Amino acid sequence: MRDVETRPRRNEWFIIAAIILVSLPLILGFFLLILSSFSEDMITNLSPSSFRPTIENWINVFQGKLAITGGIRQNILKITFNTLIVALGVSGIVTLISTLAGYSLSRMKFQGRKLMMLLLLMLHAFPGVALIVGVYLFYRLTFPQDPSMVRLYSFFYVVLARAALEIPMSVWLMKGFFDTIPWEFEWSGIIDGASRIKVWWKIMLPLIKPGILAVALFGFLAGWQDLIYVRTFLIDKTLATFIEANIEAEYSHMPLIAAAGTLYLLPTIIFFLTAQQLLLQGYSGGIKG
Amino acid sequence: MMGMVGITLEEITKKFGNFTALNKINLKIEDKEFMALLGPSGSGKSTLLYTIAGIYKPSSGKIYFNDKDVTETPPKDRNVGLVFQNWALYPHMRVFKNIAFPLELKKSSRNEIEKKVREVAKMLHIDHLLDRYPWQLSGGQQQRVAIARALVKEPDVLLLDEPLSNLDALLRLEVRAELKRLQKELGITTIYVTHDQAEALAMADRIAIIREGKILQVGDPDEVYYKPMYKFVAGFLGSPPMNFIHAEVEGGNIRIYQSKISVPKQYREIIKRLEITEVLFGFRPHDAEIIRGEREGIKGEVYSFEPLGREQIVTIAVNSDVFVKVFAPEGEHFSFGEKVTIVPNEERVILFDKKTEKALEYFP
Ligand SMILES: Nc1ncnc2c1ncn2[C@@H]1O[C@H](COP(=O)(O)OP(=O)(O)O)[C@@H](O)[C@H]1O
Ligand SMILES: [Mg+2]
Repeated sequence: MRDVETRPRRNEWFIIAAIILVSLPLILGFFLLILSSFSEDMITNLSPSSFRPTIENWINVFQGKLAITGGIRQNILKITFNTLIVALGVSGIVTLISTLAGYSLSRMKFQGRKLMMLLLLMLHAFPGVALIVGVYLFYRLTFPQDPSMVRLYSFFYVVLARAALEIPMSVWLMKGFFDTIPWEFEWSGIIDGASRIKVWWKIMLPLIKPGILAVALFGFLAGWQDLIYVRTFLIDKTLATFIEANIEAEYSHMPLIAAAGTLYLLPTIIFFLTAQQLLLQGYSGGIKG
Repeated sequence: MMGMVGITLEEITKKFGNFTALNKINLKIEDKEFMALLGPSGSGKSTLLYTIAGIYKPSSGKIYFNDKDVTETPPKDRNVGLVFQNWALYPHMRVFKNIAFPLELKKSSRNEIEKKVREVAKMLHIDHLLDRYPWQLSGGQQQRVAIARALVKEPDVLLLDEPLSNLDALLRLEVRAELKRLQKELGITTIYVTHDQAEALAMADRIAIIREGKILQVGDPDEVYYKPMYKFVAGFLGSPPMNFIHAEVEGGNIRIYQSKISVPKQYREIIKRLEITEVLFGFRPHDAEIIRGEREGIKGEVYSFEPLGREQIVTIAVNSDVFVKVFAPEGEHFSFGEKVTIVPNEERVILFDKKTEKALEYFP
């Protein structure tokens, strides 16, 4: 007999089949995109004859060529780097603020705590697009006079604004993670002479590593994928705006855009392939008899 | 190695919102004393322990360590070691690091930390486990690590919150003896919270019985066992618990349903003085005999009997819905429905006032 946890459930195959069926169009879409990036022409049907393999597209992408002919070049490495800055910036700010705020909301009594939690939920319900007019107004008001500062400022602003969109959800998530940790861990540290901030850093954070990882990854993906905020505020291009700008250009070679698109999707794919394990892996703490 | 510390609690009250978890607690714990705090679940034991540690601030009242008022002192400056009920070992740190943690916070030198951790680990027989993570340990080992972590900083006061309740019964007995020995060797003032009366009786110098945030009685194990102040105390200590039967006083006699027995010697004067007519008649299962012939005693019918090896517990129906339990020697044979007489040991009988449930000898 098998262990209880490993015994397969009776309807498992049925559930798996249903999941595959529902996600088939998506999987197919991604599959065709990735395949096209290695093909001379776009693959729009499943006939094998349309697939003429080449890695030309990828070479061109990394050389920054947008069309096979002509001399239009863009520095795709720089664009990828820009994307990375935005993604890491958003991720960093979201992680820092949500671990601090999540801890205080979970563990500390202060004036306006309830109100703050309510506002967080409401803020989360607002779509980013709905806020963009106000966010833009503020952008204009704080825009630096010095032209040499403008590009830097636009990075700074887009990271901050995009992070702000992620923060309500992340703070809630973190609060939830902190809520699961018994008070005794914290009390134990305090009795042994640790300050609140030390307890937070040395005891609480290590205990919620999976949560921190989740929030950091969501923040990263949000920054990496964002189109609207980046397009509105950032003077430079990221992968998202690059693809968006070129997808309609008449000179663009579609399989090449497919390669750029695959590059753009890469973190998301890696994330979903690896993150499940990371998120589920907590500490098997607690008490054994 | 450790300083003299006695603890005095003065009118400690702790409220959570409208709920009073501790109600005017007065208690003195002597230096080097092993005090057990005994009460059912939810009686406020942990709350009192946390208040002494400084995790909770009392709503009113004062706490003294020796003569020093520590009511407002933060936990880290009280120099207490606390073992939590769930032990609260840090799962991300190895055993060594867990035990060393309080010393690291004190900024002790590496050498000193190394030395002290090994010393205390050796004392608790866990020195071979220092490289493991807590989840790689058995329950008993985890518990030792928790105690080691509390002891490593050489606290003035050791506070233990049901440290054995997560161990299996056999291990509990073993650790119980060891812990008692350790406490005496270290000579450290200890407060031990438990809901297990046997544990309290076996380990403590004195026991404080707490119910619904109030301390009912404080005394050494003999005192609280043989001279319980309240019905609750009498019923909580001993297993199976004391028998209580409603009874009426009629002159020099006590009527218990159809039976009549004379008032125990030690109560004659008190009953006369207090002019009490209704009492709760209490006696422990070990303090009575089952007689078959005619004798002065409480008449009843054998309801059931459970052999326990060297003795048996006989349940006797005194009335249709009133049962008492009495121990009988192993050889004796009973049959269901048999008519018997229970003869309580007169000296061990305790009479309680029916209304206040207080033992009569404690009336002023
Ligand atoms: N932080 C708290 N907030 C509100 N009520 C509490 C809190 N801690 C304990 N209580 C209540 O106080 C009572 C005593 O709790 P506790 O001291 O944990 O009991 P024990 O340790 O004796 O089982 C319980 O009724 C419990 O629900
Ligand atoms: Mg408790």
